[in-house]
Amino acid sequence: MFGLFTKKNKDFIASVNENSFEVNVIKGKTLLSSALDQGIDWPHRCKVGSCGSCKCKIISGKIKPQIDFAYVLDQEELDAGYVLACQSELKSDIEVEVIFKNKQE
Amino acid sequence: MKLYVNLRYLIVPISSLVTLFGIFLGGIYAWIGVILFGIYTIIDTVTKDIHLRAETDDDGNSFGIKQFQYLVMYFMLPVFISLQLALAWRIFQYADSSIIEAAYFAGFAYESGINTTNLIGATLSAALWAGLGIIYGHELSHNKKEGFLVSRLIMALSGASHFTYAHVYNHHLDLGHQDDPATAPRGRNVYWHTWLSHIGQSKFSFDMEKKKLSKQNKSFLSFDNRWILGYVYSLPSIILFVWAGGLIGLLALAAVWVIANFLLEALNFMGHYGLIREEGRPVEHRHSWDNDSVFTSWFFIEIGRQCDHHVRGETYFWELDDVGGPNYGIGYFSLFVLTLVPPLFRSYVKKHLDNWDQNYATDAEKVIAKQFESKNFTARAAS
Repeated sequence: MFGLFTKKNKDFIASVNENSFEVNVIKGKTLLSSALDQGIDWPHRCKVGSCGSCKCKIISGKIKPQIDFAYVLDQEELDAGYVLACQSELKSDIEVEVIFKNKQE
Repeated sequence: MKLYVNLRYLIVPISSLVTLFGIFLGGIYAWIGVILFGIYTIIDTVTKDIHLRAETDDDGNSFGIKQFQYLVMYFMLPVFISLQLALAWRIFQYADSSIIEAAYFAGFAYESGINTTNLIGATLSAALWAGLGIIYGHELSHNKKEGFLVSRLIMALSGASHFTYAHVYNHHLDLGHQDDPATAPRGRNVYWHTWLSHIGQSKFSFDMEKKKLSKQNKSFLSFDNRWILGYVYSLPSIILFVWAGGLIGLLALAAVWVIANFLLEALNFMGHYGLIREEGRPVEHRHSWDNDSVFTSWFFIEIGRQCDHHVRGETYFWELDDVGGPNYGIGYFSLFVLTLVPPLFRSYVKKHLDNWDQNYATDAEKVIAKQFESKNFTARAAS
């Protein structure tokens, strides 16, 4: 119970595209904003969860969605593990797949 | 510096509390909210040439304190609820024909009972300041955690809970397109825009919920339907005002909602009037008008920095800055007065639109602008 009052300040790692590179995601920041802060050209457009450009597929690990992704993603995409990077905080280290327009290694 | 940057955004919270206190005191004080609005219009007009940049420390970090600013925004929900309660109490006294006499509560002398003139003042005061709830409803709509719900509840007090979803999923995505009801095309006036934008955003929210629930194989009549839920959030206000004054209460609430939504849509109107974005092209600074004179910036918690906001929608208001986008050069209060007289507004905005066409628009956007001009010309010729 007292764990409720313990401030957890853990950062998590997103391993992208079969460990091609990693994104360090600070608590309270989203996967997209962390990637952009680290100079990664993650696909995006609106950054407010409405366009779907930043969608990516979670292979393993847990995220904390900030919105209901069902407004933007199809049920098949949701079932397959797709999320919006701009509205996802991390709850654990994750493995994620994303399609870059210009292939990024 | 840190204190100054954070305290300067307290104009609306303090003024709302003064307005609330004025309605409580009764008599001529019920008009305080209206008088403040008038005073602020003068201050905004006089200080229109003062423009400040966002302040940061040497490392580029904002002086804004997130916890403090969010505490203030959340605090505004009970303040706006209290405004409605105070107005409902006055309506109850009016409908009950209470005797107008001096009374005391906790050491404060106030006027019990209210006459028709001062009830109109109380209603206008409550409506104007409830309408300003948009600045918090808007900021919190971009916070997807508990702030999103607070945004919905603040907007529900004005019968506009659909705004929170429509703003994020429609306005930010379709800005400058005809698919965005909140973007006013050239030639439209603010009165017509208020109606079209309100209905359009509600319809968008309706369609979005329908699509989402269909994808989830759920009935439209579901507890997960946020469009319906938004209007359910407005029910306590309706029940309160009907209980307080029957038809008079309902009329007063209607006045509050109409004025509040007019202010909301006037902000949308001023923020993007006549600007055009080619379909499929990204939102850029040129697709919004900035209104960032000093008083407007502080009063409206930087909502006037639309150019930066629409490109960096995830950015907190105290971090938004002047990005060199299209700028009306005057504050929202001054421009709002102009919008009330459509020919005056069109005359004022013409030079700014011409400047936009020449210096900001892409070739494709210029073509669309020309089509608008010919459409307006045809409409005028036909009438």
